[in-house]
Amino acid sequence: MIQLENVTKILGERRILDGVNLDVRRGETLFVVGPSGTGKSVTLKHMIRLMTPDEGRVVVDGDVVSEAAGKDLERIRDKFGVLFQGGALLEWLNVGENVALPLREKTKLTEDEIEAKVMEKLTMVGLEKDVEKFPSEISGGMRKRVGLARAIVMDPQIILYDEPTSGLDPVSSRMIDRLIDDLKNELGVTSVVVTHDLHSALSIGTRIAMLTGGKIVELATPGDFVKSQVEEVQQFLESQFITVRGEWEKKGL
Amino acid sequence: MLLLFEAIVCMRLLFKRRNRIEVLRQMFVGGIKSLAVITVVASFTGMILALQTGIEMRRFGQEVYIGAAVMVSMLREMGPFMTGLILAASVGSSIAAQMGTMVVSEEIAALELMSINPVRFLVMPRLVAMAIMTPFLSFYSCIMGVVGGGIVGMTQLNVPWSAYIDNATRFADNKDLFVGMLKAFLFGIIIVIIACHQGFATTQGAVGVGNATRRTVILSFLTILIVGYMITRLFYV
Repeated sequence: MIQLENVTKILGERRILDGVNLDVRRGETLFVVGPSGTGKSVTLKHMIRLMTPDEGRVVVDGDVVSEAAGKDLERIRDKFGVLFQGGALLEWLNVGENVALPLREKTKLTEDEIEAKVMEKLTMVGLEKDVEKFPSEISGGMRKRVGLARAIVMDPQIILYDEPTSGLDPVSSRMIDRLIDDLKNELGVTSVVVTHDLHSALSIGTRIAMLTGGKIVELATPGDFVKSQVEEVQQFLESQFITVRGEWEKKGL
Repeated sequence: MLLLFEAIVCMRLLFKRRNRIEVLRQMFVGGIKSLAVITVVASFTGMILALQTGIEMRRFGQEVYIGAAVMVSMLREMGPFMTGLILAASVGSSIAAQMGTMVVSEEIAALELMSINPVRFLVMPRLVAMAIMTPFLSFYSCIMGVVGGGIVGMTQLNVPWSAYIDNATRFADNKDLFVGMLKAFLFGIIIVIIACHQGFATTQGAVGVGNATRRTVILSFLTILIVGYMITRLFYV
């Protein structure tokens, strides 16, 4: 569904992405993991052309997104919903208005229809009672859930998650994991999740890509990922105390 | 200039009710909320003008003409200039900080991704609001300045209020008013365009937001001075 073909990105004097090849399959939840500063978020931004590759190209459903502009780019972007790291909510709009924003700006739905759709999405993320609150009045986890409700309000085919569990407590993190998994199962969306959180990746990921030094050094199912012989993967697993091999396989992942 | 052009193109969307409401909100945030500081600064500017010119004119027994001096100075220069500086420092810096923070927190990226044009959504309402409010505030500052000058004339220089107002209205003409309004209109546009441009160009987090705010105030001050001089030269030389 999404192909990164030999994508290279240089920022300043640093080669952030160095010939990355990645194929995201329809309906899967692909996790991109790796240490900080290895280009995970940059990879995500290339998929929606918030960044353009210096070399290579990005293809979404046959459309070359890295060369698209104007209405073409708009049409491609309409397939995506994105959950940004901090939620990226507009501070002067309340929760309901934030979620309704794309509907009000891009559709001709009536206010009643918009309200119904907003409540439906807020109910999905468990925030139907907080519709009147402003972003400054809610917690980090709630902000992310509002961001997720906004990301899915236009019923996208693909959802990109940028560090969805960073800065959250374990309970909130697992709640976000469940939401990501539910969206995949209930709506059949394709998901790409950028994270440090290997527990999330191993629990709900279809495949996991390890990005280090601007290159994909491993791409495997969770079961194979924990058994990887790649040194960077082993170090990353050990850094998060995931040392008991086979535990993830027992869960049938 | 591209930002200004794009914002002007987007003005056709003012026909949408939601956009008009946002313009009104920005007129309140940027304009009405600045009334208090403009009242104080303009009043004292008029008082200082009246006192300085009055003291010199009294030496020649001509202090009754301070009304003309204050009115012409306020209409032609001080009204739009003081209003421009106040709005650049308050509204301009606020817009730059808001845009910069929105860039840093990926809100602008989120808008782009939702195919919501940030220029239409954020710049255009502020531009229209300030283009309307700055001439209004400039005119208001002129009134406050003239009133301030009149109070000094009555209390410090023994110039009767009626004589002060009579001189003030006799020596000022419509051209002074219109040129002052034109300046204020352009200053409003300059402030918003510089602030939004600097805000959108923000990098490096909180430090970048601080730099964008600082650059907005400095660039706005300089541009207001230069454009003010050029308009004066164009209409009065």
